[in-house]
Amino acid sequence: MLQRDIFIKEITRSLEKDKSIYFLSADFGAEALDELREKFPKNFIHCGISEQAMIDIASGLALEKNKVFVYAMAPFLSLRALEQVKCGPGLMDLPICLISVGIGLGYADAGPTHYSNEDFACLNSLVGNTIFTPSDNNTTKFIVKDFIKNPRFSYIRLDRDKQPELNPDITKDDYENGFKIFGDLTKDKIAIISHGRIFHNCLEVHKKKLNETICINLFRSKPFPKNIIEKLRNVKKILVVDEQTPGGNLGSCVFENFSSNNFFPKIKNRSLDEIYFFENGGRDYLLNKHGLSDNDIIKDLESLK
Amino acid sequence: MKINDLNQLSKKYRKEIFEKFLLTKQGHPGSIFSMMEIAVTLYHGGYVRFDNKSVSFIDKVLVSKGHATSTLYPILRDFGVIKKSEWDNWGKSSTALRIFGNIKIPGIDITSGSLGHCVGSGAGMALHYKRRKIDKKVFVIISEGELYEGSTWEALLFAKHYNLNNLKIIVDVNDLIILGKTQDCLNLDPIDKKIEGLGIECFKINGHSINEITKSLNQIEKNKNLSCILAKTIKGKGSSIMENKKNWHYWNPMSDEQIKKTREELE
Repeated sequence: MLQRDIFIKEITRSLEKDKSIYFLSADFGAEALDELREKFPKNFIHCGISEQAMIDIASGLALEKNKVFVYAMAPFLSLRALEQVKCGPGLMDLPICLISVGIGLGYADAGPTHYSNEDFACLNSLVGNTIFTPSDNNTTKFIVKDFIKNPRFSYIRLDRDKQPELNPDITKDDYENGFKIFGDLTKDKIAIISHGRIFHNCLEVHKKKLNETICINLFRSKPFPKNIIEKLRNVKKILVVDEQTPGGNLGSCVFENFSSNNFFPKIKNRSLDEIYFFENGGRDYLLNKHGLSDNDIIKDLESLK
Repeated sequence: MKINDLNQLSKKYRKEIFEKFLLTKQGHPGSIFSMMEIAVTLYHGGYVRFDNKSVSFIDKVLVSKGHATSTLYPILRDFGVIKKSEWDNWGKSSTALRIFGNIKIPGIDITSGSLGHCVGSGAGMALHYKRRKIDKKVFVIISEGELYEGSTWEALLFAKHYNLNNLKIIVDVNDLIILGKTQDCLNLDPIDKKIEGLGIECFKINGHSINEITKSLNQIEKNKNLSCILAKTIKGKGSSIMENKKNWHYWNPMSDEQIKKTREELE
């Protein structure tokens, strides 16, 4: 099942009991959304292809003590409506959950207008939000339940494509922590940190190099999980991999948080090339060609040795 | 309250706010003075309903032109929503009051400042009231400068589609933006035709005439469809030094003579 369908199904389930939930869409759909609209028409609002107004409308609803989900394609919800997000849920600390679908090169081959390679940096720069980039279905479910129980300004970055399950699964405890470590943690190993779809690529590399690496699924990057620093305190080398442009991506986030906690391992940042992608070939082709192939990750690991 | 009383209150508040400008040496007198009669009529005319028991307003007022939110402070003070001490301290010592409004200030229903947000926020509130059958209205005061913002038009389309007749939009048309007249900078006219093009009925009034403001509020109150008041106003109304002067969007230093003159004119 797609992450968005999992997410919306959980919201639909919650609507059976909680009528303070509103779901707003900027003309963006999902199979599960059809069911939500049919069952709860009074809780669904079509805002037109108007991401900016949608956020303002959401702010009005949230000021009336509702829990509000806003839903759109990642590049438009994040960058186009960024100032509305700052002034609404940001400045007024409102319980609005932004569901951004198609992060990274998810909409290949639609081209650069539809790629969301900067959204993490933009939203991470706002104050007071929680940011999740789940790589699997379990985490996605936990996020929805958590928001409904503890509504707050949140930015959820979902992939366009179906994501493989993780083995072992993300547990409730992992969710509370904000991250999960795959592999045996010893001080000589290189830690690969990633999130979202590209995490699965990292996990594959890690499986090939079990004796040299651990792999960390950092699905909650904000607030940054404090105890990850304690866990990694003895690790000397870290590779952060993100399907974003180099500026302000997960690598920057990790570095900022580590350094402000006086943790200074050697960190390498692996991301997409800093270009706009016009060429066709599909997501994997573009990832392989522009900085995020398995070989690129392996080369970085070698260089960190 | 009678029309004459509302006029007197408008004068009183202009004078009081002018004295605050002299203390704070900052703010937006042009925009505040242009919307004074509108704000006074809304609150003291009883259009924004007050709950004596909770000392709070039932209906919402969103000043989208956030730089003019302080128009409301002396009004809210007189209703007991803002403490007199907060008002008295403004410009002297610590106070919750700010040049731009925010929701931490008692009686202020939105944090505003960046333009073009409040038709949308108001529409969200109004749709919630309609769907939940809550008897509440939302008054949104925007400047015509906010019609340059695409988000305002997005929200107008939305409000019309959902026929939010509990959303009362008042456009303060004072003809000026920071760099000059709207007609010269980037023409907005005809505003009425453009809004009516969305199917929203417009009422054009003199925004300093309590009589016309009252009549138009009564009309949109009865209207079963979304409608909008276009209030023609004078930026800096009441002070010959400020009236229709683009540089009086912001506060400017004044000589003693200018202060004396303005005080006399606002009397």
